Amino acid sequence: MAEISRHNPRKPVMACMSSGKGGVGKTSLTVNLAFALAQRGLRVLVVDGDLGLANVDVLLGLQVQTTINDILDREADPLEAVVYLEPRLGILPASSGVPDLAKLGPEDHRQLGSILLPITRHFDFVLVDTAAGIGSSVLWFNTFVDYNILLLTPDPTAMTDAYALIKVLSRDYHRQTFHLILNQVKNEAEARQVYDHLARVASHFLSLNLEYLGAVPQDTSVSKGVRHQKPFIKVAPHSKAAIAISGLAERLKGWVTQKSASRKTVGEAGG
Amino acid sequence: MQNPLCSETACPLGAEDCPLCAEVQRLQSECERLHELSHTDPLTGVFNRRHLMAALDQERERTRRTGLPTSLIMIDLDHVKRINDTYGHQAGDDALKWVSQVWRKNLRRIDILCRYGGEEFAVILPGTRLNAAVRAAKRLRTTTEQSPVTLMGRKITLTASFGVDTFLDTEELTSRAFIKRADRYLLEAKIKGRNQVCCRKPEKAQQTIEVTVDERAALYGGGILPKKKTARKNKG
Repeated sequence: MAEISRHNPRKPVMACMSSGKGGVGKTSLTVNLAFALAQRGLRVLVVDGDLGLANVDVLLGLQVQTTINDILDREADPLEAVVYLEPRLGILPASSGVPDLAKLGPEDHRQLGSILLPITRHFDFVLVDTAAGIGSSVLWFNTFVDYNILLLTPDPTAMTDAYALIKVLSRDYHRQTFHLILNQVKNEAEARQVYDHLARVASHFLSLNLEYLGAVPQDTSVSKGVRHQKPFIKVAPHSKAAIAISGLAERLKGWVTQKSASRKTVGEAGG
Repeated sequence: MQNPLCSETACPLGAEDCPLCAEVQRLQSECERLHELSHTDPLTGVFNRRHLMAALDQERERTRRTGLPTSLIMIDLDHVKRINDTYGHQAGDDALKWVSQVWRKNLRRIDILCRYGGEEFAVILPGTRLNAAVRAAKRLRTTTEQSPVTLMGRKITLTASFGVDTFLDTEELTSRAFIKRADRYLLEAKIKGRNQVCCRKPEKAQQTIEVTVDERAALYGGGILPKKKTARKNKG
């Protein structure tokens, strides 16, 4: 716990994992990426942003006492709500089966932001696992973070829903950069093909450049991990999916290095 | 308005028939009566214009904080001048009294019915979207038509015109400007021949998925993209 309690005076890197379509493996991928980042020495916080149908805790078999919803409802201590899976890995859980909470108003969002910011200072990397769709909370979380990661499968409906989310975020919220992760692909070639296609459509209609972050192949160890409520990078560290996650984690770690490097440059320039 | 310091409890010193307590209570009820008077239209008994402005300010603030829209219906009772000219001003007043009671009965308890001036009324519908407000206005229009008033022993059918508008949390607008905007739809209803409901054009919800047919075709079809409609930026 010692590592966690060390307060990070600087803002961490914050990224949102969204998909548009549900059932593309968003929560599983987020949790595994969080473990992989923690293995790389980063202090990681996973925020369960699916305030209506939270399932990060279910995926990990956690006994949750306090949730984001409790913090909003009865001002529970936010830091007490964080469940530590490892010394460097915390989860901020939400409540399941409270659909009304998925429809938070602007005032609730402001409150949520003021609750989240001080907690995130204790971490180097914050990953928000949002709900599916393009509800107000999904959009809010996506504007709250620095990086927008879109997860999709090669299925055309997943592609269309991801595109819809990108369109709304760029048109109404002026987000410009989107990082794509292709999940459940047969191979890298298929991932590249889907990415190229979506990137072409986004460039053509929205004048946006989509960044390719990586791909995770179809792998039976993923579903085994879900069944056993354990992250697959722990259960099957040598599986294809786990290796792909490691590659993605390296890239995400690069964002942290990049952020501290740019801070240094700014600091040097300023000093 | 109940003042917690002056609730109807016994004297704090335990004195029975305490004259000070009795005086405090008398002042309290006088205060309540004056407050009610200052917010009520004396003719119809519904809220007055002063209350309309205060309530609208409050509901706009609520919309800004909660994101729930506030709707406003502006109503004008049709042909009041004709009633006044035919049956006299007392009959005109009776018609206003009658119709405001009909509307009050057909609104929710949270809706705020106010007399704006003359034969013009306004209803604030807190936390209500445009389509629900339009439904309410249509219900009021039908009920007005179906609830004739008896004036000098004769049953007279009344009609009214309605303008409906909604204030969204994304808008920067004063209460006065919001009323003015809703009034435009009322004017439109009047111009179109009265006894009807006109409203702001329903905007597409901001968060609807707007994937156009072209985009969908490109996403599903792969390969060829249609020619771009807008000019491409020059490559630097």
